[in-house]
Amino acid sequence: MTPDLKEHYDYSKWLSEKELTPLEKTYLTILIWADQRLRIVDYLESMENLYYKINMQMPRSHTEQYNLDNKFWYWYPLFALGTFSVIAYIVAAISGALLGFYYSPATAGDPSVAYNQITYIMTDLNFGFMLRSIHRWSAQVMVAAVFLHMLRVYFVGAYKEPRELNWIIGIILISLTLMFGYTGYLLPWDQLSFWAGQIGVEMALSIPILGEWVAQLMFGGFSLGQATLQRMYILHVFVLPFAVTTVIAIHIGIVWMQGIAEPH
Amino acid sequence: MKRKTYKKQKDNVEFPILTDGSGLMQNPVPPDDQTPSWSERKSRSTGLAQLTYEYFERARLEDQDIRSRADYLEREVLGFPMWPHEVVRGFAITSFFIGIILLLSAVAPPHIAAPANPSQTPAVILPDWYLYWSFGLLKLEPLNPALSILGGDKIMLDRTFGVLANLVVVGFLAALPFVNKGKARRPVEEPFWAAFGVAGVVFAFTVSVLSVKNLVPLNSHLLFDLTFILPVLFGIVFYSLLKTMREGYMYELNRRYYRLRPPKPYRPPKPPK
Ligand code: HEM
Repeated sequence: MTPDLKEHYDYSKWLSEKELTPLEKTYLTILIWADQRLRIVDYLESMENLYYKINMQMPRSHTEQYNLDNKFWYWYPLFALGTFSVIAYIVAAISGALLGFYYSPATAGDPSVAYNQITYIMTDLNFGFMLRSIHRWSAQVMVAAVFLHMLRVYFVGAYKEPRELNWIIGIILISLTLMFGYTGYLLPWDQLSFWAGQIGVEMALSIPILGEWVAQLMFGGFSLGQATLQRMYILHVFVLPFAVTTVIAIHIGIVWMQGIAEPH
Repeated sequence: MKRKTYKKQKDNVEFPILTDGSGLMQNPVPPDDQTPSWSERKSRSTGLAQLTYEYFERARLEDQDIRSRADYLEREVLGFPMWPHEVVRGFAITSFFIGIILLLSAVAPPHIAAPANPSQTPAVILPDWYLYWSFGLLKLEPLNPALSILGGDKIMLDRTFGVLANLVVVGFLAALPFVNKGKARRPVEEPFWAAFGVAGVVFAFTVSVLSVKNLVPLNSHLLFDLTFILPVLFGIVFYSLLKTMREGYMYELNRRYYRLRPPKPYRPPKPPK
């Protein structure tokens, strides 16, 4: 049997007896309301436990143990490259989402709807020229930052045990990033896009055994056309964003769990 | 429920450590009689589940053992405060970086080429710069071995060879942590691997140049040879440099690590009461 203690724990009475600012009062009211339905307290508490277990009890880091002080810090700019990749990714995502309102992936028309929409964005749309420029440059900067980030990880030996898994996830990430760039490169459907696409199809076709299957899957056929552009578009604005965001989250989550490898 | 009690070293407060999943913190709401402890759950389970509990228990014990021997259970200074220190710094770095992106896009906006035209192959076909290396690897056909058993035929199409070269490069990178193991981190500690990395970076550049060879005013055979010779050259130079630096540098490092800070003496674990 559960005892009924409602009277002992009359929260509205408790609230009215306390002297609270309106902010505090609103906060508490919402907290109590939600907690009585969802029992948030339990979750908060177990999160707190988790936090203390993981964070407070960690052995001191290498720099602390050996009292290396600032010996670590002259490397710091290089350790920001991963963060810079994330920032550039976010800028690209925002500008890309805005571009997405005006672009449409179609090869029909004269010369093609896709091409015309890019021209429209660049010449007629307010801020369109700027938006495309920002999107293009944030993508370039992201790729550059990812390359350099990988180099710093290499030269600092941060890929070694226990971080092998994150290195491999990194390889997946850089491949996905390059794919992001490549699919985006095809979207304006100009000469550069078309012939870069041509090389892509040929590369896919020359993969031993799986070639034709890969070409079908990625390019929608063996010669370029509407199917290709549409696939590139879906990859660029639907598949890759989900994939890359998830993998970045895992990647950074692992860094959070393992800590940054310090050069020593 | 079995509880072991350890003395916390710093302030000698007694606190219970549970190895049954509830850990160091005592649960503010103690489990009632019906809540099974880890040991009980272990004994009820079989097979893989039981093995999992057994492993968890061992891992917990190990943690506990480490903690009871270490003298730095809790950090005295956890870090800089989030506000304002970290937030302001993060904001500054982020705005600076976004500023660079905006500056670049203002200074050098992209243009658009002529519309796609399947019937007219342009003189220069290029992906974006970051794919030049991969594009260059497609142009390694002089390396594709022609075998006399096959009557002088090449073992595979040049195209296939190029794609495989890409796979080999990426595959090798993925395997790197399993090829180069050990604890060394600084380049001086492993001159070979640092030099290898430098050679790799230089190769990425040279092979990128190779990919645009029709734009480079150099004899294409010479260019091809340079593509491979330059990385090796740079590698050798860096190797010798690092080797030369190594002795003095490692001496410094070792002195810093081991002379000034001798390893802590082993203290046996405190026995449970
Ligand atoms: C989308 C691309 C990527 C993003 C957003 C990203 C993000 C990050 C961030 C924020 C960190 C924390 C440390 C730091 O900033 O340097 C990190 C660490 C790390 N990254 Fe990446 N990364 C990416 C690609 C890669 C690649 C291509 C590799 C290598 C192949 C890689 C391997 C690693 C490893 C091993 C660590 C741990 C390094 C350490 O503990 O010192 N990452 N990453």
